[in-house]
Amino acid sequence: MERFFKIFQEAAIAVRAFKLRTFFCLASVALGISSITIIVAATEGAYQQAFEMVERFGPDSLMVLGGSETTRAVGHREKTITLDHVRAVEEAFSSAYVVVPMTAQGNIIASYRERRAQTRVIGSTHDYSQAWTWPVVQGSDLTENDVRGLRNVALLGHHLVETLFGQEDPVGKYIFVNRIPTQVVGVLASRGTSPAGHNLDDRIIMPITTVMRKIQNETRYINNFRIRFVDARRLESHEQELRSFLRELQGTPEGAPDDFRIISPKEIIGFLVALTGSLVAFLGIVGVMSLVVAGFVLANLFLLSVKERTKEIGIRRSVGAKKGDIRFQFLCEAVLITSLGGLAGFALGVAGAQLLTTMGQFPIHFSWRAFAVGLGLSWTVGILFGLQPASRAANLKPIEALRS
Amino acid sequence: MPLCILRNIRKSFFIGQEEVEILKGISLAIDEGEFVALMGPSGSGKTTLMNIIGCLDVPSSGEYIFAGQKVSGLTDDELSIFRNEHMGFVFQNFHLLPYATVLENVLLPTLYVSRKKDSEPLKRARDLLKLVGLEDRERFKPSQLSGGQQQRVAIARALINDPRLILADEPTGQLDSSTAREIMDLLQSMGHGGKTVLVITHDWETAAYANRKIHMQDGLVSG
Repeated sequence: MERFFKIFQEAAIAVRAFKLRTFFCLASVALGISSITIIVAATEGAYQQAFEMVERFGPDSLMVLGGSETTRAVGHREKTITLDHVRAVEEAFSSAYVVVPMTAQGNIIASYRERRAQTRVIGSTHDYSQAWTWPVVQGSDLTENDVRGLRNVALLGHHLVETLFGQEDPVGKYIFVNRIPTQVVGVLASRGTSPAGHNLDDRIIMPITTVMRKIQNETRYINNFRIRFVDARRLESHEQELRSFLRELQGTPEGAPDDFRIISPKEIIGFLVALTGSLVAFLGIVGVMSLVVAGFVLANLFLLSVKERTKEIGIRRSVGAKKGDIRFQFLCEAVLITSLGGLAGFALGVAGAQLLTTMGQFPIHFSWRAFAVGLGLSWTVGILFGLQPASRAANLKPIEALRS
Repeated sequence: MPLCILRNIRKSFFIGQEEVEILKGISLAIDEGEFVALMGPSGSGKTTLMNIIGCLDVPSSGEYIFAGQKVSGLTDDELSIFRNEHMGFVFQNFHLLPYATVLENVLLPTLYVSRKKDSEPLKRARDLLKLVGLEDRERFKPSQLSGGQQQRVAIARALINDPRLILADEPTGQLDSSTAREIMDLLQSMGHGGKTVLVITHDWETAAYANRKIHMQDGLVSG
């Protein structure tokens, strides 16, 4: 053990002595490790974001959209869900604690005095903020009476408040929503941007009855509804139950596709992973390639170094170094250098990630795991590509090495 | 009892396809405490013989017994241990590690000690540096020393593991005559201290230090 430690010290002395070799090996390993570090951090960032999204969507939630999957794919949103369906679901599923219908209308002009903004209106019920776990931070929520009485009241998204009111307190003020005078009763907490780049805070929430009757001129159909279950662990079986219930309700014949679409938290994760996947794959290929190149640089420089240090090897052998001692020393040198390269690469990766996050909306999350992967890979490169030169050094014949 | 016994040692090398016999059956014995000069023209096989005696190389045939133990037949690792414990080498070109300090060079053989026997290698290294008169140079690099000083460092290195045999291959070959004398005085004092010393030289002045001269000619001991 002590002997290993002593030989390791010898390796450290050599790493310091052969500065140019150390520098080139270290730099090439650092480049590879930095891109790998970014990949790991980006993957972790994506998963963390997916996790947050699911948290926000609600791990106990399902969302039902009108229209079959095929019609949605061609950009056509059929309306197939009615408020009666929602009511039926509410009555049938005692396992759900909230069922909220929603209907959306884009291209809405909202104005307050001289200020105008183009936005979208979402019609819903007093359960909207609960359904989305989206608290009202100013004023009050919509009430059951607002919905029943088709009242012209609204909750505003944070962004819209800033555009229309600036610093002014919006609660109690009247705005025009497509020329309908509407009283602002509350403001929703800020949510930022969705992964697809939509500003979530740019919206108006009004009673669904008001929106259908006064804005959409619609009597039956709504866009979608959300349902949250008490037991999140049974979400998958709930999804099955809901599907067959809705099929029966809509009278869909056996074998025909659904006339609606159910979105679950699992689908959201899949969407996010697909979004970041391509960048991760690209960086992955670059990272692995540069690590392999770094390995060859290392092997090459070490082979040169063994040649240059033949006499040293002969001297060490003459004073009693075994083959294994020589091999161990050169391996130590390689691993020492790649470890330093790994550390430098990690630092470089952190800096590069900073650049990526400022340039694009890319989630990055650093953890001990990114660090461990980087270090582990640099050791692998050191051992894998250091082994051949180290063995070559070990197998030199002492007398021939001394004669060189 | 002799320290080294060689019986009919032969050594041949391949040069290309052709087998060349360097040692053609050498038998000799060296007693403990002897100061031996190995002499002969270049190509006579002196260095090859020394490498075999020093366990750096193995004979093609013949028997070599060191301190009662049969050396021929030992594995590479066992030979390494043998060199580490029993042999101290001094080379014509000093053979110091250029990037290591004087002290690190002297300590080099202690890195590879298998059996734990010495507790204070650092103290011994410093004592040896004092013995060879370089106690104030331990942090120097070899390139900052004169040839004579470098050879003293090499001698200190050869002595650090307290070997029974010192093998010196033309230790004064690169030195001027007065420095050469100092180095030979040093080696001779090792001999007086009870060590067995084997020196290769073709310089009669150097050989005069020895109490026995072995002449080699064409791969054989000539008397």
